[in-house]
Amino acid sequence: MARWIPYEPAEEARLLGELGISSTEELFADIPRSVRLGRLGIGAGKEEPEVAAFLERMLGRNRSYRGFSTFLGGRTPIRYVPAAVDAILSRSEFYTAYTPYQPEASQGMLQALFEFQSLWVELTGLDAANASLYDGATAAGEAMLLSRRLHEGHRFLVPASLPWEERSVLENYGVGAGVRVEPIPYEPASGRLDLVSLRSSLAAGDVCGMLAEMPNGLGGVDDQLPELKALLSDIPLTVLADPLALTVLEPPGNWGADIVVAEGQGFGLAPSFGGPLLGLLACRREHLRLSPGRIVGATTDREQRRAFTLTLQTREQHIRRSRATSNICTNQSLLALAFVAYASLVGPRGLERLAANLSEKARTLASQLSQVTGLRAPQFDAPYLWEFAVSLQAPSVPNFLQRLRRARVLGGSPLADPRAGGGAGLAGSYLASVHEGTTDRDIAKYVRAARAATEGAS
Amino acid sequence: MSFRQARWDEPLIWELRPPTEEAPPEPIPGIPERMRRRRRLAWPELSELEVVRHYTRLSQMNFGIDTSAYPLGSCTMKYNPKISEKLARLPGAQEVHPYQPEDTVQGSLELIWRLERALAKITGLPEISLQPAAGAHGEFAALLIIRAYLKGRGELDRRTEILLPDTAHGTNPASAAMAGFTTREIASKDGCVDLEALRAAVGPTTAGFMLTNPNTAGLFESEIPEIARTVHGAGGLLYYDGANLNAILGVTNPGRMGFDLAHLNLHKTFATPHGGGGPGAGVLAVTAELGRFLPVPRVVKSGRKFHFEYDRPDSIGKIKTAYGNFGLDLRAYAFLLSHGEEGMRQISRRAVLNANYLGKKLGEYLPRPFRALVKHEFLLSGTPLKAQGVRTLDLAKRLLDEGVHAPTIYFPSLVDEALMIEMPETESVRELDAFADAFRRAVTDTPENLHAAPQHLSVGRVDEVKAARDLRLSWKDLREQRTG
Repeated sequence: MARWIPYEPAEEARLLGELGISSTEELFADIPRSVRLGRLGIGAGKEEPEVAAFLERMLGRNRSYRGFSTFLGGRTPIRYVPAAVDAILSRSEFYTAYTPYQPEASQGMLQALFEFQSLWVELTGLDAANASLYDGATAAGEAMLLSRRLHEGHRFLVPASLPWEERSVLENYGVGAGVRVEPIPYEPASGRLDLVSLRSSLAAGDVCGMLAEMPNGLGGVDDQLPELKALLSDIPLTVLADPLALTVLEPPGNWGADIVVAEGQGFGLAPSFGGPLLGLLACRREHLRLSPGRIVGATTDREQRRAFTLTLQTREQHIRRSRATSNICTNQSLLALAFVAYASLVGPRGLERLAANLSEKARTLASQLSQVTGLRAPQFDAPYLWEFAVSLQAPSVPNFLQRLRRARVLGGSPLADPRAGGGAGLAGSYLASVHEGTTDRDIAKYVRAARAATEGAS
Repeated sequence: MSFRQARWDEPLIWELRPPTEEAPPEPIPGIPERMRRRRRLAWPELSELEVVRHYTRLSQMNFGIDTSAYPLGSCTMKYNPKISEKLARLPGAQEVHPYQPEDTVQGSLELIWRLERALAKITGLPEISLQPAAGAHGEFAALLIIRAYLKGRGELDRRTEILLPDTAHGTNPASAAMAGFTTREIASKDGCVDLEALRAAVGPTTAGFMLTNPNTAGLFESEIPEIARTVHGAGGLLYYDGANLNAILGVTNPGRMGFDLAHLNLHKTFATPHGGGGPGAGVLAVTAELGRFLPVPRVVKSGRKFHFEYDRPDSIGKIKTAYGNFGLDLRAYAFLLSHGEEGMRQISRRAVLNANYLGKKLGEYLPRPFRALVKHEFLLSGTPLKAQGVRTLDLAKRLLDEGVHAPTIYFPSLVDEALMIEMPETESVRELDAFADAFRRAVTDTPENLHAAPQHLSVGRVDEVKAARDLRLSWKDLREQRTG
């Protein structure tokens, strides 16, 4: 067993003596016999070499995407993480620290979080950001609840292109407030929001807010987004954005978004089988007091030196309890540090180059895949950045992706809801993404495998 | 006093080299003009050394467990083993995408499956979900399950109230409200649930009772069997806030105590690092009866293979993207494997010994509001200091000058000027004695010095009132120098 508990038999005996007892058992006298346990049955402890070998073997049964030509992405993109990001995160003064409730002892983390908030404000064009939420989906859930506090109504409109996981999270976040999540269809050809449907949905009333995506769950950039604010009038508009897209697209705060949320994993974090992730939320200044999560503010110390501290805590659960704006306590601070460190290491021009580079690869992929008989790539004709939906008639998407996988190509992820009764909306579609490591050879391999997989199927 | 924290006067990152270029980014082909960014992102262009030095300096203006003890009550700031960090950085852990085919992620699925089995044994509740991102998120998921359960029984319309003791963590009432319940606080008696008050409160409107045991006063609720009978007798469910499981590992567990649902904080009891505020992992554990409501996907084993299962018609669905904080699950599993059966008991024994010993020592300086026998933590009240115009806050700041973190203060609110102290099992007796000495120096210091503290950190006493009055929450605010 590891030496994480000090081995101090003599000292422990002294402590027992000072407490006037003969055994630590006596310290458990207040736990009734009727609730005591026998053995747990979890096995004996192991030494570090054994633990390391055991878990290395287990993780070795994973096959990293690096062993494939990989086109997976979505909200958890595969992006290179500069070595310096992990070097910064590995400073144990950061990662072994608690929430900075004592600001004088925690200026380093507080300043880093202030920088993170500032970066999210610059990216979104809004006024204020919090110090992180769990992930993009829960950030969207919190944005929905903030909308409900800002505006009457029980209907929250989302694009039908929103990935099923996010819609399900939103539905759960809406339960308590009595908010229903309602999909607005997309135009069949473009994948853009169907504004006719949106107008009639709004006309029916009782709408407390709306979510738009930039880009959407089908990979498309909807050029109608700047028109939404006029349609919504005083109904709050939330935009769920890709942070990298915000380095090349006009910040939503500049064209009418009231809240911008995102999944931030692509900035400095490996996919790690989907967690930890990073939720971001920015909003307008006038809505701050109703917004969720921790916020860091700049102030001074007694000698008028610049200092940072958690602020507006009277919104939070540890003070406001059942009337708090959210139940969130522990957030994703360390990953917020990764986000701001990543952006600072890559720099604005580097981020733009990355965006341009990825979108060029995606265009190459689309033009090559579109030559495969039976595939429609991209499925929709709206502009896209680094991923797009692909549709096929036959074989089924799972079958097709399985065939690609045998050719060592991870071709993308299905867009349909895998739950029984999840709806057949996008059953024939999947999302294909590129990453920095995608080469022309990967694309050629994909095309060959796709040809083989569709041949004879239709 | 010899402790000195680094004081770098480190600029904000954009002050290192203010961005000047406002040219728009190169247009991306196909993206319409109206959607293109008109001005380049305003962020500095820095060299790698500039960025690394900046954040390394910031790290030196921060307390962490590796540099000092962290006696925060209810936070269980134990050592975060380095082997866990190493394992979590292996390619098999990091370079795996959540949407890879099942046959390529058998290792991750096996780890989830095994960790769930182990946590089921530890909690005494057989059905586990690793999906919640943090303790409060686990609470929220659990309350959605309570809703689903009551709805299935046709009782949701009338069972609308969640009961909780006045010592409950703030997340409990906040989570209950978020899940659409009303909340009612049950008054404590001598630091524990007042059974008479609980009996009077339960009834046909009771959806459930949320309890932390040992509670936030560090006391074990010995009446737990009767509490369980009372809540169940009234038709409610019993929820265990497992933030503080450390003291009872291997001794008792939520299932054995009669709880129906529980969450565990892997970032406390199971030693995953807290990261300056997160990430955490808020495992949810429920009875066999409630298992069908857990979030999808579940991980199941058939033969020697592991699979995701989505076909769970009663499931509440998703509460988070993907499957939870896998990187944290891995660290917690490494911790569990290392300790094993006997290790669990060693943890609880040592954690409780530390708390009782330190409680006795510090009880010489400040009163302890409740009984002496505690579990993982204990409370002190700073009330006697008030006569000299000294508050608990002053004492906390003065302790920082000793090079240790301050305890949790002003919680729970039923104790005036509360200090809540927890020194987990990884702290040595030498460290406990050093903390006791530091505490003695602090509590016996002059009011002037206590008011002037801290004096040896990177900044002096921070003006939190000003922060809230003149909100400056970003670079944009600083540029515009806005107030109010």
